[in-house]
Amino acid sequence: MQLTPDETTVFTLWGLCINETVVNTWILMALLTGASILVTRRLRPDVPPNRWRTTLEVIVTGIQRQIEEISPQSSRHVLYFSGTLFLFIALSNLLLVVPGFTPPTASLSTTAALALAVLIAVPLFGITQQGIRGYLRTYIQPSVIMLPFNIISEFSRGISLAIRLYGNVMSGAVIAGILLGVAPFFFPVVMDVLGLLTGLIQAYIFAILATVYISSATAIVKKPENKEEDQLQMQPLLRPFPSSLRD
Amino acid sequence: MSIDWVTVLAQIANFLVLVWLLKRFLYKPILNGIDSREAEIAEQMGEAARAQQKAEAAEVDFVTQKQQLLADQTALEAQVRQEAEQKRNALLVEARETLEQERLDLQAHLAREQKRFTTELYKASAETLYQLASRALRDLADERLEARIALHVISQLAPPLSEELAAAASNAQGAVVTTHAPLPEDARQEVEAALQGLVPGLSLRFATDDSQSPGMVLRIGSIQLDWTVDSYTDELVGLLEERLASGESSRVHNYGG
Repeated sequence: MQLTPDETTVFTLWGLCINETVVNTWILMALLTGASILVTRRLRPDVPPNRWRTTLEVIVTGIQRQIEEISPQSSRHVLYFSGTLFLFIALSNLLLVVPGFTPPTASLSTTAALALAVLIAVPLFGITQQGIRGYLRTYIQPSVIMLPFNIISEFSRGISLAIRLYGNVMSGAVIAGILLGVAPFFFPVVMDVLGLLTGLIQAYIFAILATVYISSATAIVKKPENKEEDQLQMQPLLRPFPSSLRD
Repeated sequence: MSIDWVTVLAQIANFLVLVWLLKRFLYKPILNGIDSREAEIAEQMGEAARAQQKAEAAEVDFVTQKQQLLADQTALEAQVRQEAEQKRNALLVEARETLEQERLDLQAHLAREQKRFTTELYKASAETLYQLASRALRDLADERLEARIALHVISQLAPPLSEELAAAASNAQGAVVTTHAPLPEDARQEVEAALQGLVPGLSLRFATDDSQSPGMVLRIGSIQLDWTVDSYTDELVGLLEERLASGESSRVHNYGG
C-alpha cells in the first residue's frame, strides 16, 4: 500500500524528479489562483458584488475575523500567511473525494514543509514586530533556565503540526482505502464524508495554531514591575487558545 | 513514511508562491473592495446624515416661516378688521351726517315752501281783502278805494311832513307815485293837484308794480310816503293765526278730554 504520493514520479525536469505531491500542489495553486483571478478580475467599487465575489468575501472576512479574535492587533501579513495555510490545506483535504487525486497534505513532506514555513514565519513575524533583541529575549522568559525548554518547545510545535496534519489526512485516506476493500458500497462514502469534515477541521486547527504561534511571538511583553502585572501581561497569550484545541 | 527533503523545499517554495499569488489576486482585491465599499457606505451615511441635518434645518426653517406667516396673517386679519371697523364707523357717521343734512335740507325746504305758501297766501289774502274792501266801499258809498287811498295819502301832506317833502323835492328830479293797479284819472288829478300845491312845478310820474301790495306809495327824493294794505294783511294773518292756534289747542284739548 502506498502511503505517500512522494514515491510517484510524474515527470522529470532538468534531472529533478517531479513527484505527484508537487504536481498536485501545482494543481491546487492553479485552482485557487484561477478562481481568485476569475472572481476579482472585474472588481470595481461601483459594481455590486456577485455571488462568487460575495462567497470569497465571506471566506476572507471569516478568516480575518478569526485572526482578529486571536490577535486583535495583527497585521494583514498574518492574514496572508494563515489564510493561505487554511485555504491550501482545506482545498487539499476537500479534493480527497476526487477519485485518483491524492491530496498533497497526505504527504509528510508537504506537512513538514508547511510546519517549517510556520516555524520560520513565527520568528520572522516576531522579529518584525519587536526587533531581534526583543524576540530573542522571549526565549529567556521568565528566566534563563527556560532557554532550552523554549527552544525544544519551538521545534516541537513544528513537529507536532506536521505529524498531526499528515497523520489525520493520511489515516483518513488509508482507512478509506481499507474500507473500500472490505465494504465497497457504503462505508467508503461515509468515511469520505467524515474525511471532508475532518479535513476542514484539520485545516482550521493548523491555521489557528499557526496564528496563535505568530500572535504569541508578536505580542510585546513588557518587563513586569510586580507579579500581578506579570500575570496580566501573560493573559493575552493564553486567552485566544481554545482549550478544546490544545493537544 | 519518510520525508523527501527536495519535496519539502519545493513545497515551501510552492507555498510561498501561493501566498504571494493569493495576496495579489485574492486578499488585496477583496479587502480593498471591502474597504472602498465601506468607505463609500460611510460617505453615503455621512451624506445621508448631512442631508438629514439639512432636512431638519429646512423643517425648522419651514416651521418658523409657517409660524411667522400665521402670525403675520393673524396681525393682518386684525389690522383689516380694525380698518373695516373704522371704515364702517366712518361710513355710519357719514351716513348719519348725510341723513341729518338731508333732514335739515328737507326742513329748510319745508320752511321755504311754508314761507312761500304763506307769502302767497298773504298776498292773495291782501288782494282778496283789497278787492272785498273796494267792492264793499263801492257798493255802500259809491266810492272808489283807489281814490280814497289817494285822498288819504294826500291828507297826510301836512307840516312837518310837507316841509320835509318840499326840502326833498328841491333836491329830487321829480316824484313817483306807484300803485298795484293803474290809478283812476280823477285820483291822479287830485294827487297831482295836491303835490303841485305843495311843491309847484314838481314833475310827477305814475307807475304800477305788480309785486307791490295794494295801496299807493309816493317817493320824493329820499322820502317815501305810503299807504298799503300790508298792515291790514298783517292784522288779518295775526287774527287767523290766533284763531288757528286757539282752534288747534281746543282740538288738542278735546282729544285730550
